[in-house]
Amino acid sequence: MSFMFSKENLLKIEELKKRYPNPHALSLPCLWMAQYQEGFISLDAIDAISQIIHMPSMEIYGVATFYTMFRLEPSEKLIVDVCKTLSCKLCGSDEILEHLEKNDTIKLRHVECLGSCSTAPVMQINDVYYENLTIAKVDAILKELK
Amino acid sequence: MSEMIDIIVDSQSYKVQNGSLLIDLLIKEKIKVPYFCYHESLGADGNCRMCMVEIEGQKRPQIACDTFIKPGMIIRSKGENIEKVRTDILELELINHPVDCPICDQAGECSLQEFYMEYGLHDSKISISEKVKHSKHLDLGSNVMLDQERCVLCARCTRFTDKITYTHELGIIGRGDEAKVTTMPGRKLDNPYAMNVVDLCPVGALTSKDFRFAQRVWFLQTVDSICHGCAKGCNIYIDHNKIKYQDDVIYRFRPRRNDNVNGFFICDAGRLSYKQLQENRLESAILNGEKITQMQAIAKAKELLAKHKENITVVIDANLYTEEIEAILAFAKELNAKVCSPKEVYRDESFKDDMLRSSNRAANYKTIERLNIDTKEPDSSSLILNFNHPQDFEATSVINFLTHNRLSLGLSLPIAAYSENEGTLTNEDGFTQKCEKAIFKNVPIPTIIEHLIRLRR
Repeated sequence: MSFMFSKENLLKIEELKKRYPNPHALSLPCLWMAQYQEGFISLDAIDAISQIIHMPSMEIYGVATFYTMFRLEPSEKLIVDVCKTLSCKLCGSDEILEHLEKNDTIKLRHVECLGSCSTAPVMQINDVYYENLTIAKVDAILKELK
Repeated sequence: MSEMIDIIVDSQSYKVQNGSLLIDLLIKEKIKVPYFCYHESLGADGNCRMCMVEIEGQKRPQIACDTFIKPGMIIRSKGENIEKVRTDILELELINHPVDCPICDQAGECSLQEFYMEYGLHDSKISISEKVKHSKHLDLGSNVMLDQERCVLCARCTRFTDKITYTHELGIIGRGDEAKVTTMPGRKLDNPYAMNVVDLCPVGALTSKDFRFAQRVWFLQTVDSICHGCAKGCNIYIDHNKIKYQDDVIYRFRPRRNDNVNGFFICDAGRLSYKQLQENRLESAILNGEKITQMQAIAKAKELLAKHKENITVVIDANLYTEEIEAILAFAKELNAKVCSPKEVYRDESFKDDMLRSSNRAANYKTIERLNIDTKEPDSSSLILNFNHPQDFEATSVINFLTHNRLSLGLSLPIAAYSENEGTLTNEDGFTQKCEKAIFKNVPIPTIIEHLIRLRR
């Protein structure tokens, strides 16, 4: 197995284990740690988590594919998550999505509600929210990030 | 345990155990209730929502598979309301289903098809081009093929690998209309009981690579039998068909429920053993490599029996029916012959596991023990009568009674295989079970008992 959790992550996992009666509760925190450590969640990482929390790999794989925020493949392009849920749709996320779909330099993903409906439409790049978007604003943000 | 109580279903009173599942009662009393996800071996999951019933005092219809029976319950399983609910839920199941019954291998034994004929019968409201597309023929391994578009996500297969085999190969990934059953990328469904998911699957999503497209299920005739793969004696159905002008052929074995022996399942080795049963059969008598007629063979056998009056050994296969073994014993007594059934050849420790498979690969071994038949190798004899024992023995003369072709010298007479004959077997736990005659060949091969009658004449 090529994936190993870093020392700090292993300590964190030990700390979290005390918090829950059932180690299965650690599946989401472990998936996050693996994603931050490698940039994506590899199958090796899933096997490593499976051994730590005593849960079948298939079940963890099911969890990882259920949530849109987990990436199962590495991406060299900038990953842009645009909210596709109701509030953002009403406030015009369709236009933004249409605009971004033409852009080949980014990896665009439609994600479930990002939980910032008051500032819709919203997109997320590297854990940062960009809110109250317009097409001009999106272009400016992407230019700055490049 | 808990006491028996009365409840009312469709204005009829039933006596049931307090706290048992409502769906078990409905299934037992043959009250029509549609369901996909519930299975008696896997328990309730409550995800298909098909088994809706009305319970007096509750606002909405409830699922029967997650309702525990309480005293004084009044339940309605019929009526306009409940049919409407079932029709609506069925429509949701059918949104992304390709509705391709004419080319689906499950047609004829598909729950979805049955419920559609009962509650649906409407055209799909979504056009084919708008339906979510998934993979159509994924080879999951272990002879199981998956069609994700036909899947209703009842999770029976995933629960089978989680709760029965504990191998956890299958799971549901994704969400919403993208959800699908699959294995981990690059990994296969790989366990000795894997093909049971084909029987569990209520729709045409999981089909057996071995059986698919071989035969339409409504042409098959089903006969109760017992698997001869090992001493466990798993109950099976033999599905066979005799196509016009052709011979009767077995197309598949399916597990038959018997809570005392095998429960709901059989192993893949047993399931596929019908192939060996039919292949390479000995159909005509053979003398030193040359085909001869049955009459000549019987005459030759009689001649040998007359020549060797003493020092005869009869070897019996421990897979034969009890009736056959007893008939052979009586015949051996007349000949004044020694009887044995060497047991070493049946031992296979690598086959054993802690579910159903036994290390003893002889189906009727218990009877050999009960009748005190010697289990050692035969001593040197002048004549050996081998009744289908898998080993070959050396003697001055040998008469073999064989089901399958085998390279052996001397005289060989064909005998009927277990599917072409009826009889009883006693399994390793002492259950005596009956096998029905399934196959009626165009040219029937005589059974051992018929041979013995002819030899006595």
